[in-house]
Amino acid sequence: MATTYTLNVNGQNVNVTVNDPNMSTLWVLRDLLNLTGTKYGCGEGICGACTVWVDGVQSQSCNHTPAQAVGRKIVTIEGLSPTSTHPAQLAWIANQVPQCGYCQSGQIMEVAAAMAAGNHGAALIPGQKCVCICGTYDRILQAIDTL
Amino acid sequence: MSNVEFSERHEILTSEQQGAESSKISRRKFLVTGGATGLTLGFAIAGGGGRAAAQIAGIAGPPAQTQVNTWLNITSGGVITMTIGVSEMGQGTFTGLAMILAEDLMVDLTKIKTVQGVPAIAAQQTGNSIGTFGSTVTWTNYWGMRNAGATAREMLVSAAMNIIGDQNRGNYTVANGVITYTPNGTQISYGLVANAAAKLSVPTNPPLIPDSEFRYIGKTQSRLDIPSKVNGTAIYAMDVRLPNMVYAVIQHAPAFGSVLSGALPAAPANTIAVVPTKVIAGTDRGTEQVGMVNAFAVVASNTWDAWQAAMNLSVSWTPPSNAAQLNDANYLSEAQAALTTNTPYSPSGPNTAPTLYQVEGTASASASAIAGANKKFSEQYVLPYVAHNHLENLACAVNYVPGVSIDIYAPTQSASSIPPLAAQITGLSLNQVNVHVTMLGGGLGRKIEMDFISQAIQVAFAIKQPVMLMWPRAQLFMRDQYRPFSLVQINAGLNSSGNIVGWSATNVNASILGQRGYPVGAVGDSQSTEGMTGLPYTRGTFSTQWVSHPSPIPVGFWRSVGMSVNTFAVESAIDELAALAGVDPLQYRLNMCTDPRWAGVLNAVASLGNYAAGPASGHFFGIAAELYSNSYAAVMVDLSLTNAVDYDGQNTVFTVNKVWIALDCYLSVNPGQIQTQLAGGMVHGLNAFLYGHVPMVNGVPQNTDFHSNRVIRIYEMPQVFTTVIPSPAQSSQSTAIGGVGELGVPCIAPAVANAYFKATGTRIRTLPFFPTATMGGINSASVP
Ligand code: FES
Ligand code: FES
Repeated sequence: MATTYTLNVNGQNVNVTVNDPNMSTLWVLRDLLNLTGTKYGCGEGICGACTVWVDGVQSQSCNHTPAQAVGRKIVTIEGLSPTSTHPAQLAWIANQVPQCGYCQSGQIMEVAAAMAAGNHGAALIPGQKCVCICGTYDRILQAIDTL
Repeated sequence: MSNVEFSERHEILTSEQQGAESSKISRRKFLVTGGATGLTLGFAIAGGGGRAAAQIAGIAGPPAQTQVNTWLNITSGGVITMTIGVSEMGQGTFTGLAMILAEDLMVDLTKIKTVQGVPAIAAQQTGNSIGTFGSTVTWTNYWGMRNAGATAREMLVSAAMNIIGDQNRGNYTVANGVITYTPNGTQISYGLVANAAAKLSVPTNPPLIPDSEFRYIGKTQSRLDIPSKVNGTAIYAMDVRLPNMVYAVIQHAPAFGSVLSGALPAAPANTIAVVPTKVIAGTDRGTEQVGMVNAFAVVASNTWDAWQAAMNLSVSWTPPSNAAQLNDANYLSEAQAALTTNTPYSPSGPNTAPTLYQVEGTASASASAIAGANKKFSEQYVLPYVAHNHLENLACAVNYVPGVSIDIYAPTQSASSIPPLAAQITGLSLNQVNVHVTMLGGGLGRKIEMDFISQAIQVAFAIKQPVMLMWPRAQLFMRDQYRPFSLVQINAGLNSSGNIVGWSATNVNASILGQRGYPVGAVGDSQSTEGMTGLPYTRGTFSTQWVSHPSPIPVGFWRSVGMSVNTFAVESAIDELAALAGVDPLQYRLNMCTDPRWAGVLNAVASLGNYAAGPASGHFFGIAAELYSNSYAAVMVDLSLTNAVDYDGQNTVFTVNKVWIALDCYLSVNPGQIQTQLAGGMVHGLNAFLYGHVPMVNGVPQNTDFHSNRVIRIYEMPQVFTTVIPSPAQSSQSTAIGGVGELGVPCIAPAVANAYFKATGTRIRTLPFFPTATMGGINSASVP
């Protein structure tokens, strides 16, 4: 039975109607709201491609439902910086981090959340758990070094 | 895939001339529909392996080498656009090609806009994508791209000379797209003469600028695609949105070789349709034969509903009669039996597996040399089926308008295979097919294949509505076309000074080319033998053989293909021989080395990692080298034994602390990209060495998620240091420029195995090192 939720995504309240209340937030973002910057990799909370913020904390959007997100603030890569100039984004460009780029929305949301929590430089590394198959880890470490 | 032979040919045609060439795309059609003005040069550039590789990719005839697939257009407004016929997979290919063009065109790199080409069959299309693989795009197109830039420049200068009325070329200089008439300083921009230049004839051998005047080549340039990859705006296939689009999720039979039995159930709640999909001619591989219904797709208004229904749908499959033989243990015993029980290749066929191919040398002579040797060596190396594991799931969007047209949006490494496939399925003609190549979230060789694209077309054809078809992660592991399961037997004999006097290497694995119906001749499948042949070591009396393995599990091109298999065996064996001879492994390689460039990268990596000083206490070095795609690479690692439980819950056993990589590719175009490609390739090889394998149980692939098919996270990343042998002061076309994209992959496995031997005295001859490792979830317990 269709259920409607009001979610706060990138600062705006939006209504979404799902057929299955178990639909993960990932697919709500991607297919219902067309916020395709958040990527699907595994759907099981392991790879981190789907990482967004929930109330400022990094979270794998394939791991929770819209019901769990109600009343909280979701931020996706599209909402991180209106001008794409978050320091992490600039550092990613300066260090030419992305290769295929598919993991990078998650990588950036993860590091930006740790920055928002007041961490800098090496203190950001332990939180960085997104998988990168292209192996950009050394460039990510270089970029993190400047943050 | 560097051993696939093709003769590359760059044919430069102006738009005027093309009209006269019936085999070429007509200029009129191009200009009318493309709306292009000014000077347009169309020319052919090659992807990996060119013609032969496109055949390998399956489906249909490849574009002829002379077919125009790349366009350089300079408008009267001075806008310079290059429409490129190969795919951007994240290797910075477009940036590299633009850098090369900018030199001889004599314009700033920022002036060149690059655009992804699409197959040039329909009149309105410009450019033609061909296969993109084999680490080859930059090097095979280097001289063609430079020549294109010089040709366009000289035509523009000629047009300017006509305006000025002085035909003395020496009186003109060019800087950043502006032609200056030096006697009086008159300046004419490219745009001003672009239309006039298009009417001139094409110069032969326009002069190239000397290497000393390079502004971009050899200097790191920023990649053009990166800004879109840090803000979520890059469009991968799954991000395509079409009006009225619905979402389809694929589900294959659990066991390879199974077919649908009976009818599919009706569309369940919250879904729109259930569509059977079959194997289309050209996409058949091994167990998956043409016409078999081996999968179905569930269609819904969103991915989630389709996916849940697909997983829960009750469907019966008939497994193949040989399912019980499709087991890991069986592959090994079959491979071992095939070493001795096989039939020699016969030109008249049928060469059913196991067939023995003598690739190099003579087996009997090598056997007697080894038999008479002072010390003898005989070992087997066993490598499992490994999945590609690209992070972007396979996906393809299709807009099919019955009887009118079909538009296909795909992350493909082989766009030119799509129109004939679409025509075959829909009955449309080739010029009704439009292909749009999206960004690739990693290709790694898997996106050469057409299976997922064929399924998306079948679903669109059935439901007559725009549709996005996607493979969930488990499906990727279940129906990969894996790096082949391989057994490599190496025998060698040493004389009393430890030098190799006899060598015999035999690889037993399934034929990648054979599964694609590609003829495999007397010297076997190049994809199986690369990395075993032409080794720059003194091997005494040597023999190299390949035996085709009868396993029908689909196999394919996994980044660096046969190199990653054979380099593990060969560079492990050389290390074992060094130990047998009692010689330092680096010194042993140098002693045996017959090629100064091979020695050059070994010495370069040893000096980068300070091999001579020896490792720190408790640390151990390992080393390996390779020759691939006309490039030489050597890898050295620093490993220490560790005993801790890591983030993902596994005992660590050892840590690879540092990796040093030296590359000799003759001429380096974009050094920053070389560094990232080497490091990234190394990670791909390390993932496979440590964790990668998809075991088969009665034809059913196991380890079908990241949890059981682990890859490294950032905390397992070694420090990486790279060095590139300097480019010559003035390059010449007589030395081949080497590839880069796959060079980081093959050596890491033997280098780590060799270091592990130093540390423990134990050789690693069976991969992966951690067959039962698992990966845990990302710990974000605080939310929601
Ligand atoms: S898609 Fe959510 S963690 Fe992989
Ligand atoms: S950049 Fe390709 S997976 Fe990370």
